Formats: sequence, C-alpha cells, structure tokens
Amino acid sequence: MLSVPRNTPFIKKVWLWAVTFFIATFVYPTLVYANPIRLWHAYRGDEEKALLEIIKTFPGGKIETLALPADALDSKLASASLVGEGPDVFIAEHHHLGEYKARSIVGKVGDAFEGEGAFIVPAVRAVTDGDGVWGVPLSPKCMALFVNDDLAKTPADFEAIGELTGKLPQGVFPLVYEARNLYAHAPIFGAFGGELLGKNDQWSFIGTEAETSLNLARTFIAKGAVPDDANYNILKELFKAGKAAFVISGPWLAADLSDAKDLRYHIEVLPNIRGAGQPMRPLLTVESAMLTKQGAEKPEARALAKWLASREAAQVRARLAKTLTARSDVSIADGDPMLRVFSEQAKVAIPMPASRAMQAVWDPANRAISKVIRGEAPPDVALAEAKRRYDTVRRPPPDAASPTPFLIVIGGILLVLVLYWVRGAKKGDFTGEVKRSLPAYAYVIHSVVAVGLLVIAPLTVGAATAFFSGNLFGDTSSRRFVGLANFIDILTAQGGALLTTGSFYVVLLVTLLWTFLNLFFHVTIGVSLALLLSKPALKLKAFYRVLLIVPWAVPSYITALVWKGMFDRQFGAVTGLILGLNDLFGFHMEPISWFARFSTAFTANVSTNVWLGFPVMMVVTLGALTAVPQDVLEAAEVDGATRWQRLWRVTLPMIRPTLAPSVTLGGIWTFNMFNVVFLVSGGDPDGTTDILVSEAYRWAFTREAKYGYAAAYSVLIFLMLFGFTRWDEWRKKRADDRDRAVRAKEAAA
Amino acid sequence: MASVTVRDLHKKFGETHILKGVSIEVPRGKFAVLVGPSGCGKSTLLRLLAGLEEATAGTIHFDDRDVTSLAPRERDIAMVFQSYALYPHLSVRENMAFGLKLRKTEPAEIERRVKQASAMLGLDHLLDRLPKQLSGGQRQRVAMGRAIVRRPSLFLFDEPLSNLDAALRSQVRVEIRKVHDELEATSVYVTHDQVEAMTLADVIFVLNKGVVEQAGHPLDVYARPATRFVASFLGSPSMNFIDVELARDGGGWVAAGKDELRVTFDAKGFEKGLVAGKQVTLGVRPHEVELFSKSATYRTTNERGAPLTVSIVEALGTESFAHGKLGGASFVARLDAAAQIKKGETVELAFKTVHLFDRETGQSLRDEA
Repeated sequence: MLSVPRNTPFIKKVWLWAVTFFIATFVYPTLVYANPIRLWHAYRGDEEKALLEIIKTFPGGKIETLALPADALDSKLASASLVGEGPDVFIAEHHHLGEYKARSIVGKVGDAFEGEGAFIVPAVRAVTDGDGVWGVPLSPKCMALFVNDDLAKTPADFEAIGELTGKLPQGVFPLVYEARNLYAHAPIFGAFGGELLGKNDQWSFIGTEAETSLNLARTFIAKGAVPDDANYNILKELFKAGKAAFVISGPWLAADLSDAKDLRYHIEVLPNIRGAGQPMRPLLTVESAMLTKQGAEKPEARALAKWLASREAAQVRARLAKTLTARSDVSIADGDPMLRVFSEQAKVAIPMPASRAMQAVWDPANRAISKVIRGEAPPDVALAEAKRRYDTVRRPPPDAASPTPFLIVIGGILLVLVLYWVRGAKKGDFTGEVKRSLPAYAYVIHSVVAVGLLVIAPLTVGAATAFFSGNLFGDTSSRRFVGLANFIDILTAQGGALLTTGSFYVVLLVTLLWTFLNLFFHVTIGVSLALLLSKPALKLKAFYRVLLIVPWAVPSYITALVWKGMFDRQFGAVTGLILGLNDLFGFHMEPISWFARFSTAFTANVSTNVWLGFPVMMVVTLGALTAVPQDVLEAAEVDGATRWQRLWRVTLPMIRPTLAPSVTLGGIWTFNMFNVVFLVSGGDPDGTTDILVSEAYRWAFTREAKYGYAAAYSVLIFLMLFGFTRWDEWRKKRADDRDRAVRAKEAAA
Repeated sequence: MASVTVRDLHKKFGETHILKGVSIEVPRGKFAVLVGPSGCGKSTLLRLLAGLEEATAGTIHFDDRDVTSLAPRERDIAMVFQSYALYPHLSVRENMAFGLKLRKTEPAEIERRVKQASAMLGLDHLLDRLPKQLSGGQRQRVAMGRAIVRRPSLFLFDEPLSNLDAALRSQVRVEIRKVHDELEATSVYVTHDQVEAMTLADVIFVLNKGVVEQAGHPLDVYARPATRFVASFLGSPSMNFIDVELARDGGGWVAAGKDELRVTFDAKGFEKGLVAGKQVTLGVRPHEVELFSKSATYRTTNERGAPLTVSIVEALGTESFAHGKLGGASFVARLDAAAQIKKGETVELAFKTVHLFDRETGQSLRDEA
C-alpha cells in the first residue's frame, strides 16, 4: 500500500500520485519486457550441462534458466502462469500438453517448429493435435528390451521368452517387467494394435486386442515366467543380480546399471509378438520445448525453442548427455549402440496420448491389469469395470445450477446474524462496551488475522470449491456453479448401487471399521505397555520407554513405506519369515499376497497404523498413571480387590478422563490417516481399502482434477468429524448437567 | 472383633532397619495408638498389620490366626488413610459400597449398611456426590464410612486427622472415639500428635527408632514415663531436663545442679535407683511447678525455691509460660497469670513432682510400678 503523509501540501500529493501512476503504467511493463528470456527445465547432471552448452551458443538474446525438480515443474508452472510470472520457454514431456492446454499454460510454437520432415514421425504426432503444434520435440523416450548376455540371446519373439521357463538356472526369471503397470503392459497391447484412447477420448483399452494382450500377460505370470508384483526397484535389482534374463525398461535403467560392473548386457528393440504378428510397440514420451502463452508471442523465445531442437543442439546433447534426439536428420555415432537401439525403437513406438483424459486412464487400467494377472477376474470383466470407472470420472460435469437459491439462503443467514447482532447491540450500553474493549482488540488482531488467513480462508475456499466444477482458478472457462450436484452425486453413489466398491457408503463403512479397529488396538496396546512400564520393579525402564517411542518418532511415511516393503509377497520380510519358518519346522505355508485380498490388505494397513499409533496412547497413559495415587490402590487392596479388580475398577476408571481427549483426537487422526492407506495398500485391492480422505485425494489428483468433487468429499468428512466432536461435547456436558442437578437437589433438600 | 498380637517384628527396606523387634498386644475391642516422631516406624508397623508390607521377621496374629503372610484382603481389616484415598470416580455411596461389592454382598444388605454408616457419620445427604465435591472433613468421614460398612475385625487408622484444620480435628477426633465405642471394634491408630494419642487411646505404644519405648494406659505413661524420650515426647510444652548430681541429705535425697540448684525430694518410688554421687537427669514438667512460697510445704523442695531467670514470658490469659534458665538448662514453667511475672526477673520455683533419668541410658530411675 502506498501511503501519503497526512500533512503534505496538496500539490505535493498530486505529484506523488502522478509519478506513481507513470511508473506503474509505463516504466514497470518495459522493465519487465526487457527481462531476458526465461527458460525452465528439470534437467540435472549431464543433461543440464548439455543444455547450458547449447544455450551458450544461442545467437539471440540473454537467457535466464531455472532448474526445477521434475515434480515441482508442473505445479510451479500452474501457479506462476496465474500471475504472469512464468517462463517463456520450458522443457517438459509431451503428454502433459493436454493438461497445460486446459490450464492455458502453453501456446502454439509457430515458427519454432522446423517442419514435419525434421523429426521422426511419432515425435511429430506426439506434439500435434487438431489445433496445431504445441511443442518442439527434443528427445523421445520409450522402453526397449534389456538382455542379460550370460543368460540369454536375442529371442525369436516374445513368446519365445516365455518358453525359457524352467530352462534357466534356479531362481532366474525369463522376463521381468512392471506387469501391473499400464505403461509396461502397453508394448504388448500395442503389438495387437490397441490404442489407449479412442476418438473424443473414449476408453479404448477394451475389446479383443486388450483381452488378448492381458491373456498373454496372464499366461506369462501363471507359468512363472514373470513375477507378478515387480516395481522398478525390484526389476532393477533382479536384473543387476542376474536373476532376470530379459527386462523391459527404458533408458533410465541403463543409467542405473552403470555401477553393475559384472553385468554383461545389451539392449535390443522389443521383439515381435507371435500371436499378433507385429512388433511390440511401447509408449513414447517426447521431451519437448514448449512455449508459454507469453513466450509464444516473443520472437526470441520462439527462436530459443527452435535452437534447442536444432541439429547442433541434438549433437551436443548426444555427445554430452547421450540423449536421443527426436530429429530424423541426425545420424547416431557408431560407437553408441544404445542410442541406436532406442532410436530404432522410438520409430515404432506409439506416442502417449497427450489428452488430459489420459490422467483418468491410469488408475482404472492398472487396477484391471492387476486383477487379471492375479487371476481375480477374466479380462473382459476387469476391463468392463475399468471402463465404467473411467466413464464415471469422465462423465460430463453436472449442469450449471442457478446460484440464486444459495445466495438467498446465505443472505438469509447473514440477515439473521445481523438482526441478532443488532438486537444485542440495542440491549444495554453496547457502544460503550465496544469502546472499552477496543484496546483489547489491538492485542488479538494479529492472531485473528493469522488464523483468518491460514485457517479460516483456506477452509472457506475449500468448502466453496465443493459447489463448483471445473477449474476454480487459472483458466476458469470450465468453471461453473453446480450447487449441491457434487454432494448429491456422492451421496447417491453416482446413480449406481449404493453399496458397490468405491461408493461413498462402502468407503465410509471401511473408514469407520478402520478407525474403530485402530483405536481399539492403539488403546489396548498403549495402555498395556504403559501399565507394564509403570511397574516400579521393572529394570531398564528408561531404555524400553525410548524403544517404544521410536515408532512415533520416525516420520510416518517412512514407516509406511518400510511396512509396505515388509508385506511384499516375493521379497518382503513377512514372506522371509514364513519361508524361514517353513525351512525350520517343515511347515508348508504359502507366502501371502497381502494386497490381493481386502482382509489381508486391510490387516496390513491396520498393523502399520497400530505400530505408528500406540506410542501416543502409551505416553499419555504413562502420564495419566502418575496421577493415580498409590494409597487409593492400597485402599482398594485393603478393601479386598484383586490385582485385576484394582486395574479394572480403580486404575482404568481413574485414567479415563485423561485418556478420553486423546482417544477423541486419535479417532479424528485415524479417520483421516491418509499416509498409511495411500502408501501401504494404496487402496489395493481394487480401491477397497481406501478410506474417505484417500478417496478424496484420488478424485482431486488421479481423476482429472475433479477438485469440486474432492472438496465435496472433504466437506462431508469435515461435517462428520465436526458432528462427532459436537456430540462428544454434548454428551460430556449432559453428564455434567446431571451432576449439577443432583447437587442442586441436595442443596435444596 | 479380634485381638492383635505382634511378636518380635522386624522390617528392613534394603539396608535400612525400620522396625527392630517390635512386640505389641492389643486386647479385643481396645483402641491402641501408635505414637512417635517421624521415622520411628509407626506407619510401617501399621502397614505391616494391614498386609501392605511384608515382614522381614516376626509374626502377627489376629486372635489365634497367624496373618503374617496373608494378603490384605484375607485379613479382614479396614483402613483409613491420611489422604483419605477415596476413589475419585465413585460417588460417596459407591465408595462405601466398594469393598462389599467386591465381596459379593447382597445389594439389599449393602444398602442397609451404607445407610446405617452414613447415618452414624451424618453423610446421608452426600451419598450421590463425588469426593471432589466434598470438604476435607466430609471426605474424612466418607473414608471412615468405607471402613465401617465392612465390619472388619480390625480398624487401622493412618494419621487420619493430619490433613484437617485444628478445629475440625478435635471434632472428628471425638467422632472417631464415639464410633469406636459404638462398634466396640479393635482399632490401631497411628499419629505423631500426642493430644490425639492421649485422648483416644485405651493403650498407647510410644515408638522410637524402631522399638517400643513404652506401652500402657496413656495417663500412666504420661505420669510415669519409662525413658527420657517418652517423657520428652508426651506433654506440651515438653518436660524440662536438668543435669544434676545425687546426694544424700540427712534422711532424704537431694539433686544438686549448677547455679546453686538444690532440689530435695521424696525418695519414695526411687529406692533402687538412687546412688550418692551419681550423675542423673532431673525431669520436671512445666505444669508441675509453682511459685515457691515459704508458708507452703513441698514434697520436693527445701527452704529455698529453685531460681529461674526469666527471659521470655508468653501470657495466654489464664496461664503464662515463663522461659528462662534454671540449673544451667533452658526451662519452661507454667505459672498462674495472676503472678504477673516480668521479663528479666528471677523467680523461685517449687517442683510438685520430679522425674529422674539415667544420664547414659535415658531409663527412668523410678521403681517399676
């Protein structure tokens, strides 16, 4: 805020305002415009070196670069473009284009694009849509086949890899790929000619091609040719350890294998699939130089984008960072077979759909794949279900509702409040009271402002979001007021059966079960341990106490990840324990596939959260126990109470008042315990172990940014917890009132 | 009701020897008070009777039953704690009924007994309150009620009045004795307050450093303290002690001390212990002196009184306490307020009774009664 000293003469005031106006209107914009071209990227190491080298030789204008972590680039772009502070040029993968377009972050590249002939076909397809070209392709990335030279030779075709089962040394998988992941399954699907998105963003991972591809994957897993739960780390470790003859992965794996000195391997183009008579076709992502809307209007920015994709730049990149180029006219040095293979592979790869709808594909598709390869559902059923899920997410936003009734209701409430206030003001010496208490306001105003800005405002905005669909900020063209439609949708389970998987009511039931079980174990384990620890005769007490608080001290997400690792069916500690027991005692227990069934996945979640939560209860109980006087326990002993009776009838009732608030709080925390559910089971199997918050998260972040929908979930969660705490208070108050009434009656008598 | 017999009881906590062979005997229905300074072992003895501590050696019998190693709930006792130790989460009624409920007493019977006890203690209108809603005196009475409803064979009281203010204390003290008399219960009561000890007890046990120094009826113990410790512990203000030497004086005896102190006394009752030239301690209670008067005849003093140089006078209205030096020791005398003693004056005192203690052992020189 610009403030003008009060006793300045009038003419000086005019001058001050005039100068300010001039600066704001003319000088500031030119200053901004004179800034160098801003380039944002997510490169590190060799790739960043190569980029800086390329920029050094850029003939036009000064460039300011900013390196961001890959996952921060998106959010930073979105927030910076809101206030016009974004870059001119940025480097990102092409499949974000749909999102960037929807958020009005990108502009067309115009003359930065040299022409279709300069780039390989899939790369051009990747950055082009009906409207034009939205990025300049720099570098394509896709998967290829890594071959362990000590274990296998080039396979005749994909099926031949499966036929290696049983012919390799003990414990070696013929093939490892991330079988539950659509990205890794896509090459098989691609060979059968399938596409992930149809016209107008229709779900098209369905039908014969999709079913055949899934059946093929299923046969591989069924006969043990492929582990069913490999993630990237497992894949990498298996290949490094020589436990995988082939793996399907991308250039990033090659980078991670650089420290495996003894490993002899080479990379090949993915083989044909016999059943399809076609080569496997992986998904292609193309790193591209993109222009923001402001950048697209600047010739220098366009020139920079063009320069980044130039032949010279491609050569620098190949030399310094061994990056593959998207250009068709740059030959690859003979000494680099890896680049050559990836270059060949890229030519048959299918560009990943850049449409925003793709965001909604991953989750249902991954779930369907998981179900099929675990043999829980035949492909057609699983895929139909996935399609239904996708359609639920993609269905058109609710019709715009008239805000009038809401405004009337809100206006009415405000009116009542004002009337109430006025009535209060009329009573007694209101103005005098306000005047007297004015100095007090000076002491609390800063905290009121802070709480208002940090708590009340976000809460209000969040709650308001629930009444809208589309983007609330940024490009608001899709925003519309939908009234209670989001809530109605949720509460009617999107018009489907009320008790199907993923419906609000089922998730609520799971959440309640989750909360109840966790609290039960937190309290019983916490209290029992505290009782043990409070025994005066116990030795090494301080040591145990510290040891038992450790689960609490470790950040919960680390604990959650560790537990998830322990529950891994093939490589987890629990499986190790089972196998160890089998070896020791000759048992025949099967390793448990923890996340394949609701009961076991839920158990895994609960165990993790119990581990995380009991120390709080233990510490609170230890504190409460110090407040139980020894002589009361002795009085009970003299009164004839046994050890158990003293515990049940004296100790526990006495610590209850201290424990009660912790239990209430614990209930609220557990009800909203996102970390554990998201990180341990991740909703597996099939979203059944999701609780309300993790479901809200999915709507906001994995289902096309349905923020309004997610906000409606949050509002419902808030209302439930609010109601619960009110009820709790009311219960306590009623007990107090009863107490007081009894006393009043006595006093009267 | 049961009698209590404790024989040669020892209690050690680690290296600390708290009780060093205590033997007491409380007849049925009697009110026994264990009194002594802090750390004398009286509370430990009570906790041993309750079964809250385990004896290191020795035996405890209630009547003929050896209870030495029984748990508290097998002993049929009730105890009133210094802090009352009420169950804070239970109402007065539930507090009183707690022990009966644990013993699966009929609800009707519980109700009857609670009613009876609360009527006795004036708690009827408080039955539904929680302990935190009661005053100190009311809590004390609830604690008593809780003991009474149980109808145990032995009541134990652990300094039950020490958390009450002075006015309430004397009131509740009377109530305790009244309840005891009504129930004709055997009671063992621990206190460090000699007034409580004197007023309540049928039989008093003075403990010091883990041994019983003297046992008996409180007035007997007061009148004939067996040791210098007992003499100093009972009575307020405390007994005065003066170092003297014994000598014969014609047919009688005289105790000679500093500052020309010569006290002749009647040797009756001291016959065995008196040896001429022996260094002993002369004990005189402040209440057992008066101003010397030539016209009166005294059993203990010769023609002159014992001179007391007064340094402070505490005037309490009907009586005054004159503090000063006598025979080289500090001395307190209770005198009639009418005497109008002034600070700095020297008055001559006559002793109505004297006590003599062996300078080394502290034992009384009085012949056994």
